[in-house]
Amino acid sequence: MAPSISHLNLENSERKKRRKTGDELRDPNTETRWKSESQQRIYSTKLVEALRHVRQNSLPTSKSPSGREIRHAADRVLAVAAKGRTRWSRAILASRLSLRLANSRKHRKAKPGKVTGCSRLKRPEKKRSLPAVQKKVKVLGRLVPGCRKVSFPNLLEEATDYIAALEMQVRAMTALTELLTGAPVDRLGPSSDL
Amino acid sequence: MGPKEKLPAHRVRTVILPAFRKVGLVPLFQQWSSSRPLWICLSRLGSLHLIVRGPRFLGEGSVIWGNYVRIHPYPARARRNRTRSAPIPGGIQRIVNLTLENASSFTALLELPATQAVELLHLSQSEEGTQAPPSGDIFQGIGDDHKPYLPSFDGNLTFPSNRALIEAAAKFSVFAAGENSPETSSVPSNSSANLGKVKSEPAETDSNPNSSQPLVPDPTVENKTQRSAKRKEQRKRAKGLRRRARTRALKKLRKLPYRHSELVAARREKINARMKLLQELVPGCSKVRLCLLDYAAFNNGFVPVTFSQKRCFCGKISGTALVLDEIINHVQSLQRQVEFLSMRLAAVNPRIDFNLDSLFATEGGPLVDSNFPSMASLSTVSRNPIQWNREQYQQQCPFDALHQPFWGREEDNHTFHFSRELPFES
Repeated sequence: MAPSISHLNLENSERKKRRKTGDELRDPNTETRWKSESQQRIYSTKLVEALRHVRQNSLPTSKSPSGREIRHAADRVLAVAAKGRTRWSRAILASRLSLRLANSRKHRKAKPGKVTGCSRLKRPEKKRSLPAVQKKVKVLGRLVPGCRKVSFPNLLEEATDYIAALEMQVRAMTALTELLTGAPVDRLGPSSDL
Repeated sequence: MGPKEKLPAHRVRTVILPAFRKVGLVPLFQQWSSSRPLWICLSRLGSLHLIVRGPRFLGEGSVIWGNYVRIHPYPARARRNRTRSAPIPGGIQRIVNLTLENASSFTALLELPATQAVELLHLSQSEEGTQAPPSGDIFQGIGDDHKPYLPSFDGNLTFPSNRALIEAAAKFSVFAAGENSPETSSVPSNSSANLGKVKSEPAETDSNPNSSQPLVPDPTVENKTQRSAKRKEQRKRAKGLRRRARTRALKKLRKLPYRHSELVAARREKINARMKLLQELVPGCSKVRLCLLDYAAFNNGFVPVTFSQKRCFCGKISGTALVLDEIINHVQSLQRQVEFLSMRLAAVNPRIDFNLDSLFATEGGPLVDSNFPSMASLSTVSRNPIQWNREQYQQQCPFDALHQPFWGREEDNHTFHFSRELPFES
């Protein structure tokens, strides 16, 4: 099997894999999946557990956990709640360790890297395919974790699931912070409490 | 495109003709002499089809298999009326007359109904052993002698085997080659030019009832040639493998819908369905969505080439680019919200340990109730235990005094919060 796959276009084998994931995604409807009460309950309990773990882990060093770590923890919990059916959830779970270690170094390099990346995209304007749509597709691919080289229809599916999951995450975290701080959280701007 | 090499006969036998038969076409004649091999095939419905090899005509016909394009035999009007008769239009006649010298024989053939054309096949098959007549004689003799062959065609039309066909075709082609040899140089150029002209007529036709949806016009011919080239490469690579790997690779290739328009249409359907879902999810997309849907309905599923800048009939510029913009903005805003909330949680965090423990103790169950808003109601319950916990906290705490201000603030917020709570609950 291996030599035939290596000889064939990589697209073919990837197409098969993508077909399988696509079929799996469609059957449980994304909207109901992330909006159901049970899913919210599962997510919030796991989130609380994870936050406590983060807190305990950062205790020996006696520093308050940074927002970044909490965010990563929340994303991980979200990926676990997705049960690994989607590509982005698997990417988040897979990149857990490497991200944590290299994040501090990458974070400093990432910002200048992003700037040069944008300018690079602006220079070759005229390509064969329409650059506007392709650019946006790439941007979307970068936003959704683990979906850079994914085909367009699958990218759309992943984005659908990811948006639904993110909305649930925002709702859960809002409710949690409201509960803990006791003040209604203002979504758009930074609150005055802090 | 320069003259291509002739197809080797064994390839024709093993690959091409079975492909035609899969589609339901019986090749009747083969034209070898010109640079572009040409087949005239008989379909099961009794219509004649012209099969030409080459990516050049991809925009004007439907791909049967690989590079082989069926030029639609029906003129535009007849197909729109969905007549199922088998008219032999003048277009084919013209093509055929151009490519082959012996026009009279072909018109004789073309005027025959289906059964007689098949008889013709059998006739040629039977006669091959006895004589080697010129093609004209074979077909001119048909009209008279079809009687003895009628009984064999009472039931379904039976199609002769491959080899007989090949030999008949070979004979015919030899004959044709013999006739055309002085003019091979001129005929291909003429035929290709005229074929091009003639095919521009059926270019705008709707599809055959058998075949698939209409294709995209010329701008995408390049893409199609690329894709067909890709499939060719895959096939070549597959042939380089050993037997089992080769059959597996060829099977994978065969599974793809070999009609290009089907591929494109299926892909577009997938993309459109997912876009619809996304638009429902992302706020602020409904206007754009309506435009897109109307556009699709308006065109009866026609596949637009550039799917970004299309005007629907309500006049707004809508398309994938704008929708993607919206989606990207939404995802970015959601991610920003998550970051902001996580920062707040980090600040609030010291309270989590004991608070949750206390809550778990008092409630004796999961922290989160079924609704998120009802979580707020728990905090009213926890107000008293919190004061109790404060002592615990002070006993236990490995925390610095740094956290005291948080605590103080929490208390203030808490009193604050209680007054705010009621409207929130209701």
